[in-house]
Amino acid sequence: MVRRIGVKNIKEIVMQGVFLIAALVSVLAVALICIFLFANGIPAISKIGFFDFILGKTWAPTDVPASYGILPMIMGSIYITAGAIIVGVPIGILTAVFMARFCPPKLYKVLKPAVELLAGIPSVVYGFFGLIVLVPFVRNTFGGRGSSILTASLLLGIMILPTIIGVSESAIRAVPESYYEGALALGATKERSVYRAVVPAAKSGIMAAIVLGIGRAIGETMAVVLVAGNQDRMPTGILKGARTLTANIVLEMGYAAELHREALIATAVVLFVFILMINLLLSVIKRKVK
Amino acid sequence: MKKFMTLILAGVGSLAVCLSGCGTDGTDPDSTDGGSNFKKDSEISVVSREEGSGTRDAFTELTGVLVKDDEGNKSDNTTAEAIIIDGTQGVMSNVAGDPYAIGYISMGSLNETIKAVKVGGVEATAANVKNETYKLSRPFNIVNKSGLSEVAQDFVKFILSKEGQQVINDNGYISVVENAESYDAASKPEGKVAVAGSSSVSPVMEKLKEAYEAINTNAKIEIQTTDSSAGITAAKEGTCDIGMASRAVKDSEIGEGADALTSTVIAMDGIAVIVNNNNVCEDLTMDQIKNIFTGEAVTWSDVLE
Repeated sequence: MVRRIGVKNIKEIVMQGVFLIAALVSVLAVALICIFLFANGIPAISKIGFFDFILGKTWAPTDVPASYGILPMIMGSIYITAGAIIVGVPIGILTAVFMARFCPPKLYKVLKPAVELLAGIPSVVYGFFGLIVLVPFVRNTFGGRGSSILTASLLLGIMILPTIIGVSESAIRAVPESYYEGALALGATKERSVYRAVVPAAKSGIMAAIVLGIGRAIGETMAVVLVAGNQDRMPTGILKGARTLTANIVLEMGYAAELHREALIATAVVLFVFILMINLLLSVIKRKVK
Repeated sequence: MKKFMTLILAGVGSLAVCLSGCGTDGTDPDSTDGGSNFKKDSEISVVSREEGSGTRDAFTELTGVLVKDDEGNKSDNTTAEAIIIDGTQGVMSNVAGDPYAIGYISMGSLNETIKAVKVGGVEATAANVKNETYKLSRPFNIVNKSGLSEVAQDFVKFILSKEGQQVINDNGYISVVENAESYDAASKPEGKVAVAGSSSVSPVMEKLKEAYEAINTNAKIEIQTTDSSAGITAAKEGTCDIGMASRAVKDSEIGEGADALTSTVIAMDGIAVIVNNNNVCEDLTMDQIKNIFTGEAVTWSDVLE
């Protein structure tokens, strides 16, 4: 009996170690990425000059003397992400409300897998769809060259739908049934109960969904590169192209050498800071829920 | 469940057809009428490669889009409105999809989806690059450290031999070794050779590999397609035996001492200026190309009669 417990204890300790290591791997990965980014990026930023880098409007890394200003890319990322939110959020939230409250079970069986399928499509496939279908569509309907902020926003708006729908739907479902029943009992119609009682109660969950959507949109690379036009000047219009931070890195990393390469890593640092801010915002929202 | 999936797929499919269908109904001067619908007053859609691309470096330098002054300053004047795309294939599909687009790619990659324009009246062919009438051309390099394995040395020898240069010629690139000696296939050294680098060079390297492996069945060549910088770095760090670069190798990349790289020109490549098949433009002068890519010529009527 005593021995058995001993064996059990050893197993216990060993498995504890295994779990600890498993947990450490992801922490270590984050730490390593942080160290890599900041160790390579910060020196480049200080070499270029913080304000010249962040607020510089000219990106001409192969010129002599070279300019490394990433403001056009920062603005490009912000515009395209904002566009994606404008396209994706209303559709996403309305779909989530419908799925959680109004959807007949038969339709739900189709809708749910369809939305999940949307999440599973590789981003390069989205990009190809955008290039072949959306770019000519935008060119012929709205004018311009087709590869534009609008096209990228439309495409990203579709891409962030699964994130927004999934998270908001579970937030709406998590609202206690008594809210809904209470509203009905007070004489409100079904629609009124849902939109005035249930949805406001799920507000922070829906906010979290939007923030996650922003995170997905700002980090998206392959799809955006194919449809955004990638011009490295300040965005000049919704039907003109723009370059995002992610596109800047993926476009030029392959050929970059020396300070150019470091400047691209520094671009990644800026992107990383953006993502950190978004995550911070998310945890603030989550804390509010509690 | 299966039924539902089919339904969804059918739905998505018809949506795509509708969207693209609606698209071509509009202003797209398309197929049936050939070039007659081409609107010359339309804006030129300039398609360029990313900064640092070997093709872009060569193109901007040759056309004069890149301006150098006496103090060694360089300024790439490619228009800020140019759509930037990484990779030859991306440029081709963009130009193939936009009737008013113009781009440039490696001559060996030309196919029927797009049309190469003449430059100063000279057609973009290998023969014209070789006799130097076609002005847009650049070298393909391979780099390696000293102390190559026997089989890698043999492979390099093959590339520079008469047979190897023939393979280069047969695939639309331009051989550089005049009066190359025949390859001596007697030794047949055994082993693996890792080759990595430029996506512009790798198509011809694949052909060279096939030809070489057919002769020396003991050898195994592995080609990894990345890009010029990565290829040079890999050769330097020893993760590959031979690096491929579609541009001249910088002094800082060559390095010094025992670790220094050797670079060898294995072929020349022409750069073709490409337009949509429906474009009526057939011939552009160097100056016109420069004006288009610097943004001075805005519409097609600026360069067409």
